[in-house]
Amino acid sequence: MVPSVRCPLFQGIHELSIAESIADSVRQHAALRGGRRVRRIGVRVGDTSGVNAEALDFCFAIVVRGTDLEGAALDLERVPVRFRCEACGHEFEPAEFDPRCPACGVERGRLSGGDELSLAYLELDDEEPGRPGETTG
Amino acid sequence: MTERVPVRENVLKENDRVAAGLRAAFGGRGIFCVNLISSPGAGKTSILEGTLEALRGSSVRAAVLTGDIQTERDADRLRRHGFPALQITTGGTCHLDAAMVRRALDSLPLDGIDVLFIENVGNLVCPASYDLGEDVKVVVLSVTEGDDKPLKYPGIFRRAGLMLLHKMDLLPHARFDPAAAVADARRVQPDLEVVETSCYGAPGLGAWIAWVQRRLEAKRAAEPHAQP
Repeated sequence: MVPSVRCPLFQGIHELSIAESIADSVRQHAALRGGRRVRRIGVRVGDTSGVNAEALDFCFAIVVRGTDLEGAALDLERVPVRFRCEACGHEFEPAEFDPRCPACGVERGRLSGGDELSLAYLELDDEEPGRPGETTG
Repeated sequence: MTERVPVRENVLKENDRVAAGLRAAFGGRGIFCVNLISSPGAGKTSILEGTLEALRGSSVRAAVLTGDIQTERDADRLRRHGFPALQITTGGTCHLDAAMVRRALDSLPLDGIDVLFIENVGNLVCPASYDLGEDVKVVVLSVTEGDDKPLKYPGIFRRAGLMLLHKMDLLPHARFDPAAAVADARRVQPDLEVVETSCYGAPGLGAWIAWVQRRLEAKRAAEPHAQP
């Protein structure tokens, strides 16, 4: 179903490509760990990554529908923009990229966080699938 | 029971891997590669037309890959200026990725090219995420778009090395404060260079073309093994 008010697909189709990249990476990692079922996928989405978390969630559900990853939950953690003051080293979350350091007052804040778009963790079932008799309950 | 496994890797690592291969291919040939990004209608294709026309009389050999969701129109326009131009039609995708560029290069031999311009799909959001192996992302901001774009679309300004403030000939008719646009863009990217351009009337494209030539020479000087 396409949401009626704001369709993420029309905000930017690149969330679809990114959802596919996430699914590919997750499958590689799960395969390396005996093909265990993936329950939860942690993704860190930086504020300047250009990725809309809502659209990504929507696209991921489409991408994994009918596949081994169907039902895996996407846990999207927003990573706010952070600045580091080049004068005093203080780290802060700027309002609208305002470079003025709240600690020393100098306007030399430089972006130090909020760029990333990364796979953070996977939650996998303890048991490998499809091997009746080997389960230990 | 479930087990949580930490991963910590870039979601776009496959694109980054392909882009690294492109960067090596460009570097090995001494090619300076520009990834040109803007919203639709900011003037990317017109800038490239003027740039190619100016380079026609110089020793610099250029080529263009131009991305659009549909149509071959941009490549048709660009081919009139004496250099090879190839269209990448994304068929719906709102950005170019490194694999699309690599595929296109099957039909655009890199030998004998000094500068490769990649004109991205008109969009200030999605192209920012995808490394194409370029030396620099150049963001075009035209004065008819509004000076508030840098803070509305910080991702692309953050990753750009140069901003072209474009359509400067229209500045008297636009409510656009160039100083504010530059100041905001440098909040996001303090090292951002800025060049003012226009395709019709002053200031023209001369400063931008000189910037490209300087960067090409700097790259050649830094990589003396490159085969032009």
